Amino acid sequence: MTVPALVLRDVSYRYEDAETDALAGVDLSVAPGEWVGVVGPTNAGKSTLCLAAMGLAPHFFGGRLRGTVTVLGRDSLRVPVPERSADVGLLFQNPFTQLSGARERVDEEIGFGPECHGVAPAEVDERVAEAMRLVGLEEQAGRHPLDLSGGQLQRLALAGLLAMRPRLLLLDEPTSQLDPAGTEAIFDVLAALHARGTTIVLVEHRLELLCEVCPRVVAMAGGRVVADGPPARVFNDEAVVAEVGAPVYTRLAHAAGLPAPWPVRLDDAVAAFRRSRA
Amino acid sequence: MPEARLAGVRFAYPGGADVYPDPGLTLSLRGGAVALVGENGAGKTTLTKLLNGLVRPRAGTVGVAGVDVTARSVARMAPIVGYAFQNPDDQLFERTVRAEVSFGPRALGRPAAEVEPAVRRALERCGLAGREDVHPHDLGLAERKWVAIASALAADPPVVVLDEPTLGQDHRSRERLAALVRTLAGEDRLVLVVTHDMDFVAEACPTTVVLTRGTVRFAGPTADAFADEGLVAEAGLRTPHATRLARALGLDPCVTEAELLASWSAT
Repeated sequence: MTVPALVLRDVSYRYEDAETDALAGVDLSVAPGEWVGVVGPTNAGKSTLCLAAMGLAPHFFGGRLRGTVTVLGRDSLRVPVPERSADVGLLFQNPFTQLSGARERVDEEIGFGPECHGVAPAEVDERVAEAMRLVGLEEQAGRHPLDLSGGQLQRLALAGLLAMRPRLLLLDEPTSQLDPAGTEAIFDVLAALHARGTTIVLVEHRLELLCEVCPRVVAMAGGRVVADGPPARVFNDEAVVAEVGAPVYTRLAHAAGLPAPWPVRLDDAVAAFRRSRA
Repeated sequence: MPEARLAGVRFAYPGGADVYPDPGLTLSLRGGAVALVGENGAGKTTLTKLLNGLVRPRAGTVGVAGVDVTARSVARMAPIVGYAFQNPDDQLFERTVRAEVSFGPRALGRPAAEVEPAVRRALERCGLAGREDVHPHDLGLAERKWVAIASALAADPPVVVLDEPTLGQDHRSRERLAALVRTLAGEDRLVLVVTHDMDFVAEACPTTVVLTRGTVRFAGPTADAFADEGLVAEAGLRTPHATRLARALGLDPCVTEAELLASWSAT
């Protein structure tokens, strides 16, 4: 039997000193090679889900975790984060948080992870070159990470993860600071990784983009999973949409009085609008 | 309406190339909600930092609301230009939301009787009423962005700069943000929004400035910018989703969701 990439069983998590649970009874299973989009309003628990999957909650943040988080077959409570980082890459929402602070050049920063894991220097160089090429940072190789723009910093953070060649990628709004062309380029990279078998969990507020790439959407609100399924099903549930919003095309079809099911992508929207006048 | 005028502006970061190539950046903005769009590195954020003196031009002039920015300190520009940084952590340092948002007007020496209602209003506008006593760093990124925006508004400046305000915002926050931008613009302010979010541009900003590699490639009505496919391609933009659907359905050109629905029901 294939070992799931990520399993949460009745997981609740409360940050230290917090008065409420950030995760409240989450059940979720992600198979190897899946690309799952996670949506939901602010404070829904999306980022905490990523932190729990990485083991940072509770290993780094403290607090209290109930239930079990099993990542690539191993209970996250039993796997220290440094060991976990060999297989799982988490891209923080704020790329600044990702910087090691220990390296003063972009290329060295990207190589810092593999270096710490004892990867041979020649291979580190090879991985760094590949990661820089994938995210389009080659021209910035010699710059100080703190001299980069927000968008470049986001590319750097992703490159650092790619250099670790993780089996599971947890991405918390990975392109929020990139321009549209940069966003598309990064999503091309993610699609290529996905095609090679990498499992991806993607937190994304741009629902139109999410519906283009993710066959499965997990909607969260108030620390719970409120819907889990194909985008067309999740965004046709009006109670879920009231919590998490809907893609522009879905909203427009609904507002135009088109009959359900409402479309989530452009091509479906064009067909649905035309059909309503046929 | 408060104006911003940049003429022949040249600038380079230490060790970097010119952000605005010869003959320099020239641009006039006449108030209202203006989107500033273009690729990463096009010079958008630098342009906004020229408006409050955070960066100083090597050549050329910068005038905001009739004031020569180059002759003033950043502190003296503070009552004129309210600024919310792309990364809120670059500007938040107080221990409560209230202290943070009131810092600007207090530092400007405004009387307490004036500061208190101004801060309350800014907090209300930003959905932060009831969050006054929270430590800003106990808030998530999306809410810290709102604290930064409230701080920019608290001194009631005629010019407001919002750098990537939609970053991390959920659907309700985006709508509140679009409404806020429209309201601020309706109060005779210049609201300059730096963003990569074209749907937000369409919904909130009637005027758009497109920068390509430090050059003003377009300044005018947002609808005209998105109607120009060559411009959209050259500047690395994408058309708003409503525009794409209208085009695919053969409807009149439009940028907002309301326009699309009106056009659809009229056919």
